[in-house]
Amino acid sequence: MIEKEVTILNRAGLHTRPAATLVKLASKFKSDFYLMQDNLVVNGKSIIGVMTLCAEQGSKLKLRFDGEDEEEAAKEIVDYFNRGFDEL
Amino acid sequence: MNFLNNIQEFTKEYIEVGEFYENCRCLFGLELIAENDGFSKKIREGSIHRPGLALAGFLDLFTYNRVQIFGNTEIKFLHSLPDEKRIQSLKKFFEYDIPCIVFSNDHTPNEKFIDFARERKVSIFKSKHATTKLIYFLSDFLDDQFAPQCSIHGSFVDVYGVGLLFVGISGIGKSEIALDLVERGHRLVADDLIIATRKGEGVLMGTGSKIMKHFLEIRGLGLLNVEKIFGIRAIRYQKRIEVVVVLEVWDENKDYTRTGLDKQTINILGIELPMVILPILPGKNVTVIAEVIALNYLLKHYGYDAAEDMQERIKQQIQEKTEKRDKRIVSYFEHDFE
Repeated sequence: MIEKEVTILNRAGLHTRPAATLVKLASKFKSDFYLMQDNLVVNGKSIIGVMTLCAEQGSKLKLRFDGEDEEEAAKEIVDYFNRGFDEL
Repeated sequence: MNFLNNIQEFTKEYIEVGEFYENCRCLFGLELIAENDGFSKKIREGSIHRPGLALAGFLDLFTYNRVQIFGNTEIKFLHSLPDEKRIQSLKKFFEYDIPCIVFSNDHTPNEKFIDFARERKVSIFKSKHATTKLIYFLSDFLDDQFAPQCSIHGSFVDVYGVGLLFVGISGIGKSEIALDLVERGHRLVADDLIIATRKGEGVLMGTGSKIMKHFLEIRGLGLLNVEKIFGIRAIRYQKRIEVVVVLEVWDENKDYTRTGLDKQTINILGIELPMVILPILPGKNVTVIAEVIALNYLLKHYGYDAAEDMQERIKQQIQEKTEKRDKRIVSYFEHDFE
């Protein structure tokens, strides 16, 4: 299991488009992917879950990857966060 | 079970007095008397306290960090004191960091009391209800606020009044089943993200998240608003979670129950809930099965269990047959010439 902390960098936050891309990315991997904010744990492979977070610019999220390809998944997804969902 | 392993229990650490007031105003008409500066104070405990003894001077076990209730007893007691003593008693009382005070029976404090409270930034509320009733309302509200919660990934539908929680890996078809059930006249509580709260002993309540209530995602279609499409009859805001239905891909090597005698349960937030593990196969109508799960649960609730009934019948038959045979222990007498 890998846990990473990321910050939302882009201005618009984790809105519909990045949420959809994120879910698509996560679905490529076999590993379970969860996002955590405060007390809320959501499944990263479900668009509604990810959108529920309504994560705004500057907010911090904890990501959890668990499964056989967790390292690749973590690398790619954390990278997507760090690129500010390609909106920077 | 993988998808339920990730459940993280949490409880609120505090609620702010402002939030407490806002909710209680709507729920049972709590009124604000004085002080707005105290709205950011934090209530950290679900219990409440009647400060009779504290006012009388016994402050050893004064649970000052709870919501303080002033009922007839407290008011009468304060009135009975000579002025000087009353001020002294209140002074001591207000030295503690009290979150807020509620007066029952429509009592209102005097100016002096309000001054003390203002100085210490303590909000004062009043209620028309009698003390016992007020305590019941407040405790119920605070219990709920401080109840353990968790978020669960699944779909939650009210089927014939039974709360069925569907869980399973992403893409197994939880939302499709929910949609199908709604189409057949059942009511969606939440899809995807369900927030479960333990209410009292043995009751688990489920609801959706504020933002995403009654939205569904169907792969290939995208996001749907169930309330807009199917109308108000298709939704509800909260429901007791009564049966957990685990959907999984058919596994040849796994034993699925054939009789229903082996009752399986699952523990969520310390509550044991009946669980049905349902293997998904082509040609299997999960919606109908879900309806039957609900009906069967109702039937069991009213005292009938099909599996046990069958077991009883078989037992009886076997016994009857044995008895018949037993009429003559030896079925064939050999000649017995004596």
